[in-house]
Amino acid sequence: MIEILQQIINGMAIGGVYVLIALGLTTVFGILGIAHFAHGSVSMFGGYLTFFLVVMWGLPLALAILIALVVGFLLGVLIELLAYRPVRNANHINAFIVALGLTMMVEGLNLEFFGHEQVVIPTDFSRVFNIGGVTIPELRLYVILAAALLIAAMTIFVEKTKTGQAIRAVAENRDAAILMGVNVNTIPLVVFSISTALGVCAGVMVGALFAIAPGIGEGLVVKGFAVLILGGLGSIPGAVVGGLVLGITEALAAGFISSAYKDVIAFVAMILVLLVRPQGLMGKA
Amino acid sequence: MRWNGKTLLWALALVGFILLPQLITVKYYLHLSILALCWVIAAQGQNLIQGYTGYVSIVQAGFMGIGAYSTALMGLHYDLPVWLTILLAPCVTAVFAVLTGYPSLRVKGHYFAVVTLAFNLVIFIVLMNWHDLTQGEAGITGIPKPGGKDSWLNWRDRGTYYYFVLSIAILMTGLAALIVRSRIGQTLIAIRQNEDLVGAIGIAAWKYKLFAFVTSAMYAGLAGAIYAHYQSFINPEIFGVAQSLDAILAVIIGGSGTIAGPVIGAFFVVFLPEYLRFADSFRLILYGLVLVLATIFMPRGIVGVAGDLWAKVKGKPS
Repeated sequence: MIEILQQIINGMAIGGVYVLIALGLTTVFGILGIAHFAHGSVSMFGGYLTFFLVVMWGLPLALAILIALVVGFLLGVLIELLAYRPVRNANHINAFIVALGLTMMVEGLNLEFFGHEQVVIPTDFSRVFNIGGVTIPELRLYVILAAALLIAAMTIFVEKTKTGQAIRAVAENRDAAILMGVNVNTIPLVVFSISTALGVCAGVMVGALFAIAPGIGEGLVVKGFAVLILGGLGSIPGAVVGGLVLGITEALAAGFISSAYKDVIAFVAMILVLLVRPQGLMGKA
Repeated sequence: MRWNGKTLLWALALVGFILLPQLITVKYYLHLSILALCWVIAAQGQNLIQGYTGYVSIVQAGFMGIGAYSTALMGLHYDLPVWLTILLAPCVTAVFAVLTGYPSLRVKGHYFAVVTLAFNLVIFIVLMNWHDLTQGEAGITGIPKPGGKDSWLNWRDRGTYYYFVLSIAILMTGLAALIVRSRIGQTLIAIRQNEDLVGAIGIAAWKYKLFAFVTSAMYAGLAGAIYAHYQSFINPEIFGVAQSLDAILAVIIGGSGTIAGPVIGAFFVVFLPEYLRFADSFRLILYGLVLVLATIFMPRGIVGVAGDLWAKVKGKPS
């Protein structure tokens, strides 16, 4: 029983990372109709950059994350302006292929700047809490809390603020939003900056919890989409549920079945959900 | 068949392909040409689902892997003749394609792409980790050549294998052309253009999509099997997501939704890296850039651009 609880706690940490990635993907998808496939690689770029600033320049972690957020934000804006905007009115398959091309480019840039080595972002959080036999490393706890905080902030932003309202309006009905005076040229930039910021946070969390290496970004973005498929498209609660289900499934699979096949089991779970509920766990039919 | 410019071009290309081994002096280029012909088969399959049906599938290399491993394992464990295992390999691939295609085609557009990509990751993980079956990263060696010991053809000669692959590539390209011209192919194109309309006039679109997906997988399985018997050695490395992206690139660069496109695109993706001998990271950046620029500026690929030029030369508005 304690072992199961332990794995669930582990799963919540990685699940929180998946939720952040998925939220970034779902907002971009809602506004632009683009499966922003490069999101994982951009997130990893943020993680790499944070590592680089902390280890090479000796900056404090918080400052490094801040700089990574700003640089990642600029990268996201560049991607929107230079790559996605030209194909905005073309058919969706073209936008998706552009996204695949971007993924290759960002992965290549990561290799070029940061090399092939696997890196771990060093943190001072090495204490381990023990609650009734369940051990929770301090870092893992902070990751879960930070993820929860970011998800809450994102929800409040989208639901309560004027900009959030405009974002939802464009996602709902682009033409009507234009008529209501929403500037549909700046909204994508706002969306990309939020999505990239969430992505960079997720990248830092992955870098601190596990490690960053070439190819991790692709795996992460696939997990992000798997979360959306599991949870149902375009709903924040869906993404949260989907992320936790995926993370916990993976942790249980790794703990009790086989850690080499944990991804396989997570994807099989996704396919099973698709068979029973094509609209996702929380999606409307 | 009308004897117009297009048929003439195909005939010229055919003669070119037949004469190619005589024209090539460097053996290495013959090797690359054989690889490119394998890719022609895989890309024709990719084109059926991506170019004609309008669904991006990112598992073509994974299916090549299933084809390659099934022909190798059946040959080594059950001692079946090579021609039989090559024929069985696409059938094994088809079984996997049905199992994955049925659930994943229930989701539209991008999600289909993501599910197929997840499947490619699964195939890769299994090939890497199921040591008893696949010998993991070390791979399988000693895969026999076709024809056995007492064959009248010398299969170890690259020229022989070239003609073998060439004839299969021609056959599969012809088959793709037949499929596209048939009622099924026309329905696939209709799905790409307006899937809701196809559903509205009472056609069960999912059956056609599944057909396109399974057929494309069988093409990949066949390509993988031929590749395995050519190299005599396979490991999971070349059946990863990056190679599936190459298949997509081949279709886009060549000209998606055309029969000639995958042929041109396949040679492009095999020969381009040979001329661009950069470090791996630069290759990725450049490939990505080519993919982005090609999609933005020439969405109809080399064939589309050539067609426009040809129309200009003849003075007809395109």
